[in-house]
Parts: sequence; C-alpha cells; structure tokens
Amino acid sequence: MSIFRTEKLGLSRSKKWLFQNLNLEIPAGTLVAILGPSGVGKSSLLSCLSGSEKPTEGRIEYCLEANDIRSPKTVRPNLGIIFQHLRLTEHVTVLENVLYGKIAKFGLKQAIFGFPKDECSRAYSILADLGIEHLAYKWTAQTSGGEQQRTAIARTLFQNPQFILADEPVSNLDTYYAGRVMGLLRNLASEENKVIFCALHDPQLISRFADYALSLNPEHPEGWNLRKITP
Amino acid sequence: MISQEKIGSLPTRSWYERLNFLNILLIIFLFLAIFSGKNLVDQNRPADVVSGVKYFIKKFFPPDFSNFQLILQSLNETFQIAIVSTFIAVIFSLVIAVGASRNVSPTWLVQSVRMFLNITRTLPSLIWAFLFVIFFGPTPIAGVCALTFYSLGYLGKFFSESIESMDIKVARGLKLIGASPSQAFIYGLWPNVKAQVWSQSLWMLEYNIRSASIIGLVGAGGIGMELNKAMEMASGFQRVTAILICILFIVILLDFLGQGIRRWITQKVNPKSISD
Repeated sequence: MSIFRTEKLGLSRSKKWLFQNLNLEIPAGTLVAILGPSGVGKSSLLSCLSGSEKPTEGRIEYCLEANDIRSPKTVRPNLGIIFQHLRLTEHVTVLENVLYGKIAKFGLKQAIFGFPKDECSRAYSILADLGIEHLAYKWTAQTSGGEQQRTAIARTLFQNPQFILADEPVSNLDTYYAGRVMGLLRNLASEENKVIFCALHDPQLISRFADYALSLNPEHPEGWNLRKITP
Repeated sequence: MISQEKIGSLPTRSWYERLNFLNILLIIFLFLAIFSGKNLVDQNRPADVVSGVKYFIKKFFPPDFSNFQLILQSLNETFQIAIVSTFIAVIFSLVIAVGASRNVSPTWLVQSVRMFLNITRTLPSLIWAFLFVIFFGPTPIAGVCALTFYSLGYLGKFFSESIESMDIKVARGLKLIGASPSQAFIYGLWPNVKAQVWSQSLWMLEYNIRSASIIGLVGAGGIGMELNKAMEMASGFQRVTAILICILFIVILLDFLGQGIRRWITQKVNPKSISD
C-alpha cells in the first residue's frame, strides 16, 4: 500500500504564489501528469515534493504502510527522481550511473571494490529495455542528450522506488522512445502499485498514459485542477 | 535620407578614452623598470663578469664525480622527501579543499580555511624548511614537514578551485535519492574532479622534487645538504658542478615524464579532452 497526500500545500516566490491550498490524495498505482505552459510552477511543485525546496505552507505525506507516514526527507530511498537537467555524473560509465540509483543501499565498500555482479546484470538488463545496452561501458559525457535522458530513467527504474517524480522525462526523446518510456512508467504504476508524478507537455502522451492530469494556474494559485483522464 | 559619408565615419574618441586601464599599468611598469634598473647600475658595485666567468670555468670544471654513490644516495633521499610530503599534502588538501569551496561549505568555514591556506602559501619553502630544522634538527623529517606545509597552501587552493568549478547539483541530486554526504561526494563530485586532482598532484610532486633539492641548503636533508657541504669545502667546487649536473638532469627528466603522465591521466580519466 502506498498513498501520497498533500494538505494545504502552497509555495510562493518573490511574494507571488505559484500554487496554494493544494490538497491531493493519490492512491497506489496512479500516474499523475502535471501540465501547463513553461514557468507555471511544474518543476517547483516537483522540487517541493522531492524535499529540495521547502513549501511556504502545508504538508506533504508519503505513506509506505498504514502506520508508516514519511516526509519528503525520510522517504528518500523510496523516492525516485528523474531531474529535468538529468544530474548524471559525467565522468563515469553509463552503467555506473544506473547503479547509483541504489546508492542508499550500498556502502562505501562499493566505492573501492565495485558493485555486486548481480546488481550490474540487473542494471544492464534495464539499459537493454531502453535500447542503450551497447553504451553500458561508455563514458556518460560521450553519449548524446537522448541517451543521457534514458540513462537517468534507467537509474530510477533500477532504484525501483515506491514513488517517482519525473520532470519532463521524455523531452529529449523521439516519439518511439517517448512512448516506450511512458509505457514503462505506466506499467510500473499499474503492475507494481507505484505513485508517479510526471511533468509533461504532450497532450497525446497525457491522454495515453496518465490517470490524472493536474494543472496549475499561477493567475489563480488556488485554481489548480485535478481531473481524471478517461481513455 | 542619410548620406553614405555619415554612416561610414567612425566617431573618434579622445586620447584618455583610448587609454585603457591595462595600458596605464603597462606604462607605470615600464617607468618602474627603467627607474629600478638605473638605480641598480648606479650603485657603486661594478660587476666584473669576464673574470667571474674565468674563475668559474677554472674552479668548477671538470666536474668531480668521485663521490657519485653519495650523490645518488642524496638524490634518492630527495625523492623520498618529495614523495612523502606530496602524499601527505594531497590527503590533507582534499579534506581542506572541501572546507574552502564556496559551493559545498558555509561562508565562515570557507573564509577561515582560505585564510589558513593564504598564510601557508606566503612563506617560501626555504623559510618553512628553516623553521622545521629549528624544531626537528637537520633531518629529512624537517624537509618532509616543510614541503608538506608549503604544498598544502597550493594544493588546497587548486583542489578547492576544481571543486568550485563543478556542478554541485549532481551530488545534491544523489542526496535526494538517499545518498549520504560522503557518498554524494564520492559518486557525484569526485569522478568529475579526479582528473584535475591527479594532474595537480603530479605537478606538485614535480615542484616538490625541485624544492627538495634546495631545502637541504638550510639542513633539511636531500641533495641540497650535499651541495651545501661541497660549497663549504675549499676544494669542493668541482663536486658542486657534479651535483648541479645531476640535479639538472633529474629535473629535466622529470619535466618530460611529468608532462607525459599528466597528459595520459587527463585523457584517461577525462575522455572529453580527447575530442577537444
């Protein structure tokens, strides 16, 4: 069981509210698309949810079990983030970047002796799922933008968290891989009961893969809207 | 309609507008050089270069390699001093550099660490050696301590500049998915700075081998101590030449080696530079 909840969540920047009074209760197995034009506050909302930015008001709760309620900071190993600017370590291999997804599980021993073999093979199979297994031992800095985006997605898939926050995860991908990545996220939500938030622009992707669409409106910070998407 | 001539003519600027700050500095520097040079020549200490060179050739040549074994031993000690001091300095500098980097540490810490680094850099290695010879007596340990402190000042500054040039968001991102601060450093920051750290450490090692041959002059061990002894002996000038030739040979060899190794490491660890 995993439920995500916000209570009266609000964020203001330079005395201007981006959103206010945001009350959400998202059950397990749901993919929520956050939409709206650039600058509307999609990334800010996601950084609030990830704990990297403190909301001006309100609460965020991640429920792992019925009695196990966590804040963005304490939920961390169970929270996967696909950043808009990817944040990959450039001077290590693609495979290593994927392995960093389970960094919380590993100790300092792995820094010296390397990662366990079974974990490496699992990371490799995820790369294969995303069609970049041939890049496993290539330096991340030498791969293209789209390949790096798939590496960042692979890192989160490898982490296998209960909650995923994805900030425009398919912005650098062609239609085929955009669909494939969104399909993977969709399956994760439905089959493994995860809660996924995904900032997206493409209305087609939203209607194909999302359960709910959350739109923000900075003109009316309290006028946010969460609607169910009917296929 | 605007005439062609009006468009074509560039507005002229007055002479003081054309004179920029760097030009003014250059002029001041030129005046200082002329003034200082004239002052030095005017002092009543005529230099007799010809007889000086004659004296040098007569006294210092041919080089006396009779104690080559001893020279090799002292050179070995010089190497050891340089290697040990560079190693200790690299380890400590890495820790200190984190404290001196604005993007990772709080301002109060950055400022106090930088002040410490500035102070260690102010004293030349020979003065550090002199100080430690007073503490420890004329031993190689004094040399190791002197070069360690001297290198700390430089490496701490270099490493912190490297860390500051890195995108700290990568490490912060890792922390957001559960990495501890040390893991965030090791996996998010270190891989990106390590090429620079290797290259700077090797440069410091080269530099320290050169310094280690000098600090013996004040008793801090190594080849410099042999040089000092030979200079104090009435018949030691030819030995001095032999030692200087050995030092020169080692330093040139090291320059070549160091350059090659540094290029190799930078390309190995930082593949971007291959395509650059």
